[in-house]
Amino acid sequence: MAPPIETGQPGVVIIDETKAKDELSSPWNVIVHNDPINLMSYVTMVFMRVFGYPRVRAEMLMLEVHHKGRSLVWSGGREQAEHYVHQLHTYQLLATMEKSEA
Amino acid sequence: MIDLKVQPLDEKRILISGIPPALAAVLHELPEILELRDSPGVRARLYPNPTADDKINQEWRQITGPELRHLFVSAAETVGRDLTALTADVESGDAYRVTFPIEHVPAWMSALNQARLVLGEIHKIDEAEMSRTDFDPHSARHMAALRIHLLGYLLHLFVELDGGDEPENHI
Repeated sequence: MAPPIETGQPGVVIIDETKAKDELSSPWNVIVHNDPINLMSYVTMVFMRVFGYPRVRAEMLMLEVHHKGRSLVWSGGREQAEHYVHQLHTYQLLATMEKSEA
Repeated sequence: MIDLKVQPLDEKRILISGIPPALAAVLHELPEILELRDSPGVRARLYPNPTADDKINQEWRQITGPELRHLFVSAAETVGRDLTALTADVESGDAYRVTFPIEHVPAWMSALNQARLVLGEIHKIDEAEMSRTDFDPHSARHMAALRIHLLGYLLHLFVELDGGDEPENHI
């Protein structure tokens, strides 16, 4: 949240609403990291189940995790990102979330 | 030759048949392996931090940790009970078989994957070790990798059973 701006008048502060709104609406990225144990077929299945992705997209993301070490699998609001990370953890995938730089 | 199969026996039950003795031995060890889930290194793997922020991570652990642990323990207990029915498969030579309710499939997938991750963490199994094709029976690490592969083969059959191109097609 943006800090309030002091006006010098007692009890009067200005809150930078635009900045506060921007911070709230900044997208969060859900990242899945590679590990040597999880099966490629299992990871694909988890992406299909958790995000509802079609097989082709799920496989593409799984391959990105496998070859590049990580893949941005979803981007959006913070609460939904937390929900997805939790779901991925229930399937024992290494998942994290980070605020998008964009 | 391995003729391991995971298939619906009827509308309510799943049958795993043709379980080779080596896999049956690992399945017998499954409850014991899963009890190692609370070892420090394994905990970090099964309950990973969601961010780089310590405060958020601490709050996250408090909120989601107990629920995740309950989920993992519950799956292990379900599979442990199902495994008491593991018996010799008279139709497949020296192989074994087990049947269990179809609603236990998610628990089986969770427990098999947990066990693979537990073995991987305890024995520090990396990509190179997972690519190994020769296994020294005197090496605990090699034997752990072999057990991970055996459990992975069975898990893959569960994933295939889940099948279907659309997400809603899973069991």
